[in-house]
Amino acid sequence: MTLALATRHTAWLTYRSVLGRLRQPAALTPSFVFPLFFAALGSASFSRIADRPDFQEIASSFLNYAVAGAVAQGVLFASTSAAGDLATDIEQGFFERLLASPVSRTSILLGRLGSAMVVAVVQVTVFMIIFMAFGARIESGPIGFIGLVGSGAFLSLAIGGLMSGMAIKSGSPEVVQGSFPLVFALMFLSSAFFPRQYMTGWYRTVADWNPLSHIVEGMQGFMNQPLAADMFWRAWLIPLGLAVVSIAFGLRSLSKRLAAL
Amino acid sequence: MPAAFVPSMVMPVFQLIAFSGAFGAAVKFAGIKNAMDWYVPLNAVQGASFGAMGVSFGLINDMQTGFFDRLLMAPTKRWSLVVGPMAGALVRAALPIVLVFVVGFIGGMNVPGGPMAFVTIVIAAIGIALVAAAFALGLTFRMRNMGAATLTQFAVFFTIFLSTSQVPLAAMSGWLHAVARMNPMTNVLRLARQGLLGDVTWSGTWGGLVALGGMLVASTWFALSGLKSLEK
Repeated sequence: MTLALATRHTAWLTYRSVLGRLRQPAALTPSFVFPLFFAALGSASFSRIADRPDFQEIASSFLNYAVAGAVAQGVLFASTSAAGDLATDIEQGFFERLLASPVSRTSILLGRLGSAMVVAVVQVTVFMIIFMAFGARIESGPIGFIGLVGSGAFLSLAIGGLMSGMAIKSGSPEVVQGSFPLVFALMFLSSAFFPRQYMTGWYRTVADWNPLSHIVEGMQGFMNQPLAADMFWRAWLIPLGLAVVSIAFGLRSLSKRLAAL
Repeated sequence: MPAAFVPSMVMPVFQLIAFSGAFGAAVKFAGIKNAMDWYVPLNAVQGASFGAMGVSFGLINDMQTGFFDRLLMAPTKRWSLVVGPMAGALVRAALPIVLVFVVGFIGGMNVPGGPMAFVTIVIAAIGIALVAAAFALGLTFRMRNMGAATLTQFAVFFTIFLSTSQVPLAAMSGWLHAVARMNPMTNVLRLARQGLLGDVTWSGTWGGLVALGGMLVASTWFALSGLKSLEK
């Protein structure tokens, strides 16, 4: 199979997955509602802390700080949900029908990841419009906006690859949804909701080692600092590196499932 | 069904650790010595309510298997079909409360209010668990599907978080301050927290008891009227 044909298959499967997502608004809703709710809650709860001089070095307001965490949270929700759809395809037999067709095997996985990226791009854009309407500012300008959208897209690849690997391995939507608390824990044990600078003890150590802290802080850089190369390194290259590993895991799970058929 | 119990026990413990670790500084800036003192009551209340909501899953299962129809045909008092599951909810609520206390002690929570501190937390947590269970039953009688459980979770989640869940009223600003002041959950959390932040007093207690009583009457009426509409 040529690369061009595999790319076309991936594009069509991405299109199908995006349509599938749009047809289930109830599945998409939590990935929009909860991050926005937590950002609103955080900015109203912690706005007095944001007036402290040491916080002002991190962000100009708590809302400006909370944007990155909300973006990451939304993307993690949506990517997990997309992987759940892949598991549903396996459970309901659509996956086997795909295998019976002359479709590129790699495209089955990449199509799902493509849809996770498309949803992430739309989601980050919608979030930014809403946050800016409520007073958030992107200090790094339009390139910073592209930086945020790109970071969301790459993060969706990283988490989508991992969760899709689990979906292919287990073939069970319950297992994928059941593993979501791990992602949730990853979020809380990072600086997504509150700055690392204020954490202490073992919790700070975990947050320091958590790659999500560095990704989110890269995104926060776009929101709160003048544009710098360091932001792209943290917000783009770390999720891209993780995506390489997680997609490799997904492809390996796929080849194992195919070998077992 | 241990799988149904485990999340309701693990989540409050995880949330207690996560909130204390992540937002500990915010609570300390508000003058509270140890973040555990602020978050143990919150997670006891939330854990108990989420545990209690499990009655909704049991009821849906009974409806789908036809067991509930047999209960309706039996010569039992109708109110027992509401009060029975609510009593069961107490058992489901107890485990998360105990676990949260254990983690709180390990985390060094202070108990200046003495044993009464635990009494007030348990009253608040059990009260909200009963409210959540009755509300879940009322919704399940009306909707007759799993959506009722999800909606109850959303309702309890938003009611708790739109109160003084994260920081004291004085530290809040804008819309949240206004909402939290009106939210009866703020009084319930004040009742639960008072013994970990100072002495247990009547002034810190009565508002929570009134809020619990009001919510319990309203939610029990909602459950009983839901049962009536189901029979029609």
